[in-house]
Amino acid sequence: MVVWHSNYAQNDLLFDAQKLCNEKNYEQAIPMLEKVILHPETKNDPASWHIRSYAYLQTYKQSGPANTSKISLLDTAMSSALKSIALDTAKGYTDNNNAFIKNGAATYYKLGTILLQDSLNTSKSEMFYQKYKKYTAIINPTFDFKQKDIEYYNTMGSIFADQYMRNNFDQKHGDIAKTALLKVLELDSKNISANINLGILYYNQGATLMKMMDYDVDLAQLDVIQENAKKLFKQSLPFMIKVYELDPKAERALEGLQGIYSALLDEEKANEFKQKKEALNKKQ
Amino acid sequence: MAFSSLSFESMQNYDTNAKRKAVFLYNFTKLFDWPEKMKSGNFIILIVGTNPSLNQELSKMASSKQVGNQKLEIKNTATLDPSIKPHIIYLLTESSDLLKDASSKYKGNGTLIVTEKPGLAKQGAAINFVVADNKQAFEYSQNNAKKGGLKTGDGLNGLAIVVD
Repeated sequence: MVVWHSNYAQNDLLFDAQKLCNEKNYEQAIPMLEKVILHPETKNDPASWHIRSYAYLQTYKQSGPANTSKISLLDTAMSSALKSIALDTAKGYTDNNNAFIKNGAATYYKLGTILLQDSLNTSKSEMFYQKYKKYTAIINPTFDFKQKDIEYYNTMGSIFADQYMRNNFDQKHGDIAKTALLKVLELDSKNISANINLGILYYNQGATLMKMMDYDVDLAQLDVIQENAKKLFKQSLPFMIKVYELDPKAERALEGLQGIYSALLDEEKANEFKQKKEALNKKQ
Repeated sequence: MAFSSLSFESMQNYDTNAKRKAVFLYNFTKLFDWPEKMKSGNFIILIVGTNPSLNQELSKMASSKQVGNQKLEIKNTATLDPSIKPHIIYLLTESSDLLKDASSKYKGNGTLIVTEKPGLAKQGAAINFVVADNKQAFEYSQNNAKKGGLKTGDGLNGLAIVVD
């Protein structure tokens, strides 16, 4: 339970709303609070906005875990807390307002990661993730988001790359995966997971072109398909080489390079990495 | 929040080159004209040597395609088998030494000899698979195709590395 200063009881509406909140009757408190924030006596009172933030936050929580259909409740709770902070020159509500914002930011982050699993809601997921960053930065302006960004976009990349393969190599999923993984590499060019996943993604796209090719294609068409697949195999190569450079004993990189060079019909290089993989397995 | 690496295995185990060669071989069935005596019964592609993924790919192709009215049949042996009269004989790298025997045995019989080792189009093969610019290509010897009893138009010349 949040304890508020009670020196604003001069406005009956605010007092009554506060009382209802203490009784956890947010449903009746909210319409009152909507009047409170418009009332000339209380509209510039940080307590009005603070209580409003609390009431909306609690109502959102009551709507069930990770509820996106009621997200406007959380949005209102956050904007109210910000308004309260702006009006609160005496800093009487700082700790509680910050706690609300921290709580809201954590909820946005949770929603962002949950929505990543839903391929139709990538943009919503990113929107929630950006809100998490926005509110976290307000309460902790020096917070370094680099690791969070890497984690978030790596997750997005691996989920969509997996979806790409499960959904019959649907281009949309592949493109989202690539964009996310490239964002990770912008932040950390040595990120092994992003490099491996991009290498595999490009390789798989090339291999898929081959696999889906009909036996009936004529030789001119075959040449075009080979050319397109070759470009994809070559695109996959630098990512897998990077992983190998970072960790020459990474079995997946050795396996990947063997596969990529084999697809590029460079049997000498393919054998080189095959032997390296076999030598590694013997040592283990 | 957990993230993982993608599975490489499923596609890595897919031999893209086997598919390319299957498509090439199926094209050859349409680009050459076999003698009348070879236009009945099954259309036989004989692979000499070991390449399980190629066999698998060709078997898959044979289950869905045919050559004109002829059913495609894929055979695989370790050496030349006089009991088999193939329309196409494909000598894998390890069987390249059999080229001379094959050229002599199948001369004029309506058999297209295909190989995959550098230089063999000049030593008796009508078609020799080569790699050019990271792509599968092929050398073509019209003279060797004629020696095998096959006819072809000029259409193939534009698609091949012509050796004679």
